[in-house]
Amino acid sequence: MQYQLKTRQICLFLIALTPISKLFIMPSVLASNAEQDLWISALINLALDFLTVFFVLFACKRANTTLLNLLENSLGKTATKIIVSLCFVYFTIKAILPISEQKDYLEMTLYTLKPTVFYFLPFFISAFYLCTKRLKVLGRCADVLWLFTLIGFAVLLSLSISGADFSAILPVGASGYKAIFNGSYASKIWFGDGIYLAIFIGQFNYEKHSGKKILLSYLISALITLLFIFIFYGTFTSIAHRQRFAFTEISKYTTVINNLGRFDYIGIIMILFVNVFAISLPVYFSAKALNYLFCIKKEWISSLIAVAMQVFILIVFSEYYASIEKLLMNYAPPFLFLVGNLLPALTPLLTLKENKYAHTQS
Amino acid sequence: MPASVLYKHGGLFLHKNLSKINTNLMKLEQNLDANIEKIKNALNSEDVTFLDLQLANRKGVLIFINDIVDKNAVGELILRPISNIKNDLTEQELFDLFLSPEKSQINSIKEILNDVLLGNTVLIIENSNTALSFALKFFEKRAITEPPTSTVIKGPREGFVESLPVNISLMRRRLKTPDLRIENTTVGKYSRTPIALCYIKGIVDEKLVKTLKNKLSQIDIDAILDSSYLSKCLGERTVSLFKQIGNTEKPDILAGKILEGRVAIFVDGSPIALTVPYLLIEDFQSASDYYNSAYSATFARQIRLLSVFIALFLPTLFVSAELFHLQLIPLSFLLTIVNSIKGIPLSPSYEMFFTLMIFEILNEASVRMPKYVGMVVSIVGGLVLGETAVTAGIISAPTLMIIALSGICLYTVPELEQTFSILRMIFLVVAGTCGIYGLIISVSFIFIYLISFESYGSPIFAPFSPLVKEDLKDTFYKGFLHEHQFRPNSIKNKNKRRLKISKIKK
Repeated sequence: MQYQLKTRQICLFLIALTPISKLFIMPSVLASNAEQDLWISALINLALDFLTVFFVLFACKRANTTLLNLLENSLGKTATKIIVSLCFVYFTIKAILPISEQKDYLEMTLYTLKPTVFYFLPFFISAFYLCTKRLKVLGRCADVLWLFTLIGFAVLLSLSISGADFSAILPVGASGYKAIFNGSYASKIWFGDGIYLAIFIGQFNYEKHSGKKILLSYLISALITLLFIFIFYGTFTSIAHRQRFAFTEISKYTTVINNLGRFDYIGIIMILFVNVFAISLPVYFSAKALNYLFCIKKEWISSLIAVAMQVFILIVFSEYYASIEKLLMNYAPPFLFLVGNLLPALTPLLTLKENKYAHTQS
Repeated sequence: MPASVLYKHGGLFLHKNLSKINTNLMKLEQNLDANIEKIKNALNSEDVTFLDLQLANRKGVLIFINDIVDKNAVGELILRPISNIKNDLTEQELFDLFLSPEKSQINSIKEILNDVLLGNTVLIIENSNTALSFALKFFEKRAITEPPTSTVIKGPREGFVESLPVNISLMRRRLKTPDLRIENTTVGKYSRTPIALCYIKGIVDEKLVKTLKNKLSQIDIDAILDSSYLSKCLGERTVSLFKQIGNTEKPDILAGKILEGRVAIFVDGSPIALTVPYLLIEDFQSASDYYNSAYSATFARQIRLLSVFIALFLPTLFVSAELFHLQLIPLSFLLTIVNSIKGIPLSPSYEMFFTLMIFEILNEASVRMPKYVGMVVSIVGGLVLGETAVTAGIISAPTLMIIALSGICLYTVPELEQTFSILRMIFLVVAGTCGIYGLIISVSFIFIYLISFESYGSPIFAPFSPLVKEDLKDTFYKGFLHEHQFRPNSIKNKNKRRLKISKIKK
């Protein structure tokens, strides 16, 4: 069996790409719901994803074939198509907010004068190009991008950590469990990374310590997210919910910046670079889902459709972004939980059935 | 039917389809005049000599091309023994009579034509179906000098020349092993350029050699005038901004590459040898890195990386910061820039673009111009033009400084200079129109392009992507000798160990 990925690449994928899209609007969404307990809201989602990854690893360990083959063998083609359709909808929804966030970030923060939406459109060329590539290329991206993520974080966090007041998150649980739950619920769209690992079933050689390495990588990714959230709230405290693009603002109060100029942009640019890949991921997988659903043999056709859909949503609904954000945060989480957590967590059952069938056959 | 089919003859792979010559594939006849008539029809050129001889009671004709054979050798090794013949000899006796070290028996008109065109001397004898071919070619060649593209302070100064045998001898001198294999072929419908594949059996991946031979046999081109022609034919992508095949002018570098499991390709008439597979990092490695200490090699490589970064991104970041992201520039520096651009008629992006264009024009002119004018161009272009342009208020001093720095920095990696200057221009246009985000997108596009790019089974962005930890010690960090015990994993090769540290300790 020829594998497209290596365990190392999956670990680096988790470290490099999963924490990035959580830095833009998500901390302020958490703060507006759970205030100083925002980290608990995030922790709940991270724990859910951790459990999903944990269960999927069982499937990875036992799988002799890819996820699609497992689904087809166990549930038949029709059920597989239904599941892949759900995944397509999931990834399409999951791509909307991060892409819009990125566009808003350019308009509001990165440029001195507000640019038009066309400044952001080249992103889709890059996303389209990535979508036409095989999973192997995604693994190779992770091999390099993790370094950018870690350096970017290190620059931003080292500049901002001294100004953060960590006592602001105390007392723990003061916002109440309802606010914490609301925070988790509203921020669900930025989580659900376990599904990526489910897609990687059968695409890498599960070796002796692969499971431990992948879990550890997910923990590192979760730790980066939590650390950022702590510093974010420690820096902005009660006005944290107004900081839409916290990661640009978080480090600018340090005295070094006053003397040397905004060299924290080195870190910001690195994170923006990785984010191009992070926000392309849902588009990438929606294109692959289209490939399967409509038996498209030419990758560029499905990639073009997936990217065109996102361009359409971005341009046509750009004026209604706030409403879309509200809609997705209020109504999408149950669906996101179903496809992003529950379905991947059930994959060990598929491998069990597959192995049982193989055993009976033998 | 493939464009050309190879068949082996006397150590050479010869093309079966030799354009016009291809029409005449017949065997030699007993009738000498008929044979000569056919050859004269095919080789209807004034520089082809047909020398009539008498071998006791039989007639013979010696055929060669005037200016490409060693006439002294022809006299000593062919004509002198013939003049001593008293009785009729058999073909085998005749063959043994000549003392030429490189000789063969051939028996078709096509082979005769092939050999004559390659510079061999052919003897055809009356009443015989066999001709004798002697490799007595003599081409004028340049002396072995230090190649201008890769000079070193320490280390060997020899460089390849335009002669294939000389280049092969330079390799043989360095790798005295029976495992060093040379396989010859010819490519080019009209040029029929001799090409040699060179590799070490037992280290190289056999599949790579097979793929290369197959690819060479499929090349249907009028002429291979330089190895760069072949490099383009062998590239796996038809359109590519980046190099797909490695190259070098130095035998010591080539020996090192062959020992890592690469295949070298020599082209007759070119002093540049090609290497396959190619990794992008190769062009950041200089020969002197291996002759100096690991510390200085590491430092030099970091400098090269930094220089490439400055060359590619300094002009673009400066323009995008001036146009779109003023917050990136510290206030005091911003004031300096504001003062310097006061009264400049062009926008920052146009100013940078035109200055860069002037730099590229000067660069092109200095390469093309005769050397004695080159100095004038440097002075007029670099000093007078620059200084006057700033004084006249056409361009600002920071822009001029940035372009000058960027231009110099690019030459720290001369092999990639052409690619990177095009990239720099593209990035500049993007940064001038879309700002820093446009630049990020362009870089990500190039990044995806590079990581999905493979050269004969080896990803060209290796050992960074895919990450090959063991090979990182010869990238931007140069490890000590004891760290290079194994051949690189980024290239498929056999016999992994190349150094046993215990032996060195003794």
